[in-house]
Amino acid sequence: MNMKISATQEAETHLLEAAKEFQKCMQCGKCRSVCPVFKEMGNELYVARGKNKLAEKLVSGELEITQRVEDAINECLNCKTCSANCPAGVSPEHVVLRLRWYITTKKGLHFFKALIFRQLLWRKWPITLGCAIVGIAQKLLFGIGPKNPVRHLFPLFGFSKRRNFPQLAIRSAQSQLPEINRSKAGQAKMRIGYFTGCAGNLIYTNTAKSVVDILTGFGYEVVIPKKQKCNGTPVLANGDYEGAKRLMEHNFELFRKYDLDAIVVSCSSCGMSLKKEIKVFIDDSPELSEFTGKVYDINEFIEQNIDIKPEHLGELDYKVTYHDPCHMVRGQGVRDQPRDLLKMIPGVDFTEMKNADTCCGSAGSYCITHYDTSIKINNHKIEDIQDAGVDMVATGCPTCVMHIADNLAQHESKEDVRFVVEILADSLRAAKTI
Amino acid sequence: MEKSVVDELVAIFGKEHVLTANEDMIAYSYDAAHAEIKPEAVVFATTTEQVSQLMKLAYRENIPVTPRGQGSGLSGGSIPLQQGIVLAMDRMTRVIEFDPSNRLITVEAGITTSDIDPIVAEANLFYPPDPGSVAFSTIGGNIAENAGGLRGLKYGVTKDYVQMMKVVLPQGDIVTLGSKCVKHVAGFNTEAIFVGSEGLLGIMTEVTLSLLPIPQHRESALAIFDSLDNAAQTVSDIIAAGVTPSTMEFMDNETINAIQNFKDCGLPRDAQAVLLIETDGEENSAKAEMAKIDEVVRSNNATEFSIAKTTEDRDKLFAGRRVALNALASVKPNLILEDATVMRSKLPEMVRGIIDIAERHQVKVGIFGHAGDGNLHPTFLLDMKDEDEKARTDEAVKELFQLAIDLDGTISGEHGIGLEKKPFLMNQIGGAGIKLLQDIKMTLDPKNLLNPGKMFDMPQQV
Repeated sequence: MNMKISATQEAETHLLEAAKEFQKCMQCGKCRSVCPVFKEMGNELYVARGKNKLAEKLVSGELEITQRVEDAINECLNCKTCSANCPAGVSPEHVVLRLRWYITTKKGLHFFKALIFRQLLWRKWPITLGCAIVGIAQKLLFGIGPKNPVRHLFPLFGFSKRRNFPQLAIRSAQSQLPEINRSKAGQAKMRIGYFTGCAGNLIYTNTAKSVVDILTGFGYEVVIPKKQKCNGTPVLANGDYEGAKRLMEHNFELFRKYDLDAIVVSCSSCGMSLKKEIKVFIDDSPELSEFTGKVYDINEFIEQNIDIKPEHLGELDYKVTYHDPCHMVRGQGVRDQPRDLLKMIPGVDFTEMKNADTCCGSAGSYCITHYDTSIKINNHKIEDIQDAGVDMVATGCPTCVMHIADNLAQHESKEDVRFVVEILADSLRAAKTI
Repeated sequence: MEKSVVDELVAIFGKEHVLTANEDMIAYSYDAAHAEIKPEAVVFATTTEQVSQLMKLAYRENIPVTPRGQGSGLSGGSIPLQQGIVLAMDRMTRVIEFDPSNRLITVEAGITTSDIDPIVAEANLFYPPDPGSVAFSTIGGNIAENAGGLRGLKYGVTKDYVQMMKVVLPQGDIVTLGSKCVKHVAGFNTEAIFVGSEGLLGIMTEVTLSLLPIPQHRESALAIFDSLDNAAQTVSDIIAAGVTPSTMEFMDNETINAIQNFKDCGLPRDAQAVLLIETDGEENSAKAEMAKIDEVVRSNNATEFSIAKTTEDRDKLFAGRRVALNALASVKPNLILEDATVMRSKLPEMVRGIIDIAERHQVKVGIFGHAGDGNLHPTFLLDMKDEDEKARTDEAVKELFQLAIDLDGTISGEHGIGLEKKPFLMNQIGGAGIKLLQDIKMTLDPKNLLNPGKMFDMPQQV
């Protein structure tokens, strides 16, 4: 009985929090001109003010949770373009998240999602093992190139034949790298915690290695707490408030044990979540402020703290453009730092592409659950990349890398997609600095 | 809505362009005004022919039709007052012809107004009207509301740029009005009647707009005053000196403080008024005009006057104005943005009158707007859940309209009448004026099915 009352109260809290936001909406319609989802769907139901209106009707009781309401609420990239442009200062993505949490609290979490978020991600080892098994299978099956006949089987699973999947790690970054990575340049200047993120751990392990090499090479000690878990972004985005809260509390307690001077993150969404979203889940306290104040995106940290001199950098013959991940540019205000790092590298020919800060449509699990729309959104990105005439796209978010690389492959376009820190590490290695 | 009618709509527009689900009706029940009514169906037109077929169907079945652009209107023009069908025009976005030699562009009515400039800029041309919603309103909506903007004083408003249009009349006939020629007197000046018609007389599907060459140079300046009268006198003196600024924006003390609370834009909190002034044209003449403005501003005891030297300087000067509405919106949960307009010579009286009204009704108002053309945006700040405050604000708004009329001004400069100002139109144009509007409406739409109940009531409705 108690449980039931508290669930109802929790659901009400989510609605009240949503109301604080949508009440500010002037319904002016400006969100129509910036929302990437609306651009493809062309129906007011899917634009920010439409979602605000649905929330208003749910609160007033004029509307029940229907399938179409859920569909509309799930059609959001959390790209924050609407809130960045809203004249009334509304954050519609928070209305959307609150509604997703409200719906889950009311209707319960889908069995499959509960399994992933509350069991597999929490226990972590099944995901690590699963990735290793798939990783081995990928090596065996796809290792022989893009003409691999296995691709003809893709349509059976609803994937396009040219669909490009990233190679999963057979050995995770956290198992390849020790927990304590000592400074390679004398006495450590700082003790830095590194939050690898699942993608840095299980897919883009070279990014994780680049982060560690750069930091240790410039005299920092890097600690990678082995017990770190998912930061909760995919969990909270899929409506599981409780699951996300448990993960956030775990990481918050874990990192605090290590006496760290700073925490760096190489994934845009993990960075935003550890700096900001965590405040929605954990009650405000001096400890929390101290924690969030210590979190840096890796590009931000390097730009602020490391004095990279021209002689540290080796020449790279790359023609590069940069794509702004939503959770870096709007989520954390990190815009110039990665560009400055790229432009510093001798030989790198940097071209600013058009619409660099528009969402690529990946949006974490959105590109899995809404693949067709996410590809339509991404097609604009591909056009802008091709117009830039480069051979490499640099960015700072694993799902952006995954999605852009996939769609470039489907367009038979040759540009490589990489993390800025990887490119920087290439240059530092070329000059034998690290 | 009857299934047979929905089937017919699907046959006309195609399945993916017809909505009837309750959730979708909620999404199309409102615009930027303060009213909401759910339609029974929403259709998205992609051709003129479809619009014509829709109107024939509506006339046969007696179904009200409400045209809608992007739903950014501030007077409720696109709210389906009598339910029926909402005709969304925002999927008609093609550019039909760009004709640089005649400085004309022909577009479908659903194109976003700000999408026109990048196309015509290639031939060094621009489309001058720039309402605040330029990036999220359709050109059809702009014409239906005769939208204004920041550059009204020098460049006029939407009606000055409409050359020709294709219109579907309420009973489904398709007519082309106006001409691409600069001079054209064959028949009545009928296209003019559709500009500002708020979707009551017909549905524009294609429009031909005239364009101007992009001015070679622009000068921007900011003047700060510690007295309202000095600022107002400056506006009059600038015009008297023979200068026609392209922009002359005004902000009052309440707005200045809202901005400074919102974000430090370097505006002094004790300033009573700020003017943002721009001149444009050939470089020497824009500079000469700005020099005259400099003189006028100084002789009117401005406490500060700065001319931007670089684009960054200009951005800094305009930072406050750009966030003005955001800043005011952050003061209280809701706002009512009005557009009462007077001749510029009456500006000081108008501003003082508004402040007096606000004080008498104990409501908060920020005033900013286009001083050059006398079009002010008194913005009432309130919490609509506070019924007492809401009632006081409604009373203040009513008095504001009367003040504008008493000063020989107008209750609406650029937002239109729609639903919001319908009760006040009689005071402005009188019984004979209303009768003329009714007669015109009756001639074109005898069944009163196209956007019924907006602007004025028909005789049988009263």
